Amino acid sequence: MTARTTRLDAGVRTALRAVGAAAREGLGDPGLAELVQIRASQLNHCAFCLDMHLALAREDGAVTEAQLGLLNAWEEAGDDVFDARERAALELTEAVTVPTGGASRPKSGGGFVPDEVYERAAAHFGAARLAHLVALITVVNSWNRLMVARRIPPGGTAW
Amino acid sequence: MTTTATHPTYAPEPPVRLEWAEHAPEVYKAMIRLDAAARKGLDPTLRELVNIRASQLNHCALCLDMHTKDALAAGESVERIVQLSAWEESRHFYTERELAALELTEAVTVLTDGFVPDEVYATAAEHFGEAELAQLIAAITVINAWNRFGVTCRRAPGHYTPGQHA
Repeated sequence: MTARTTRLDAGVRTALRAVGAAAREGLGDPGLAELVQIRASQLNHCAFCLDMHLALAREDGAVTEAQLGLLNAWEEAGDDVFDARERAALELTEAVTVPTGGASRPKSGGGFVPDEVYERAAAHFGAARLAHLVALITVVNSWNRLMVARRIPPGGTAW
Repeated sequence: MTTTATHPTYAPEPPVRLEWAEHAPEVYKAMIRLDAAARKGLDPTLRELVNIRASQLNHCALCLDMHTKDALAAGESVERIVQLSAWEESRHFYTERELAALELTEAVTVLTDGFVPDEVYATAAEHFGEAELAQLIAAITVINAWNRFGVTCRRAPGHYTPGQHA
């Protein structure tokens, strides 16, 4: 597979990287960050981002193989695989990633980010961490769009 | 709602969930830089159509408030804004170039139903040069990012003044 285009404005690339760096630092949880980034990339079908974040998650060691394997079915995986805080973050990730609603929307139906999803996340994260978690979900969604639209192949070095 | 007209009693305005920019100022500053970078080299009229259509798909009330007002202030017609959510049935309101951009906007905004079709990308590539197309993709990506902050953090629409963030 070859990319449709590898063109991307340098200013866009630099600024989006800065948003991501600030989001990850403010969240302060590299393992959770990788889970969130992988889950959003699954929903958005971004092969490039999946390849990259799976590698980072394994390299980092903060995410277990069981978590990586079961992430696509986290709701059916036990509490021993994903704890309540991780579940709240994953649920928020799905709602923020799919505000359009529709058949592909996991479970909660309708558009928007449902109150109960937001409240569960707010119960586990203080306002500052929650703001950075929302930012991180937004950033990975942005990379997903840039990579899928331009069809950057997984493992590609020019992107 | 800021209006002087007499109207029935509307439902109360929902409270904001999270003042995210205050809690994540570095993120906000970088988002502003990102927004400015994605604007370069893209026709403002086209950009507002893209912004409005993505905000419709993502149900971002705050972004709709902002971008419809900015579009109107820049001279966009009410008719073209109203018809935007049914543009496939009102193609004669838009140029072929705008239609190609709107189709790409929808494909890039709704990734969960599967990728960006070759024909959608190819049509966009016929109307936009490579650099301009990259900026269009960036602009679609950035409005999608603002939509996510807006919907999740629930800042209420109705208070925007055109040009406020220009």
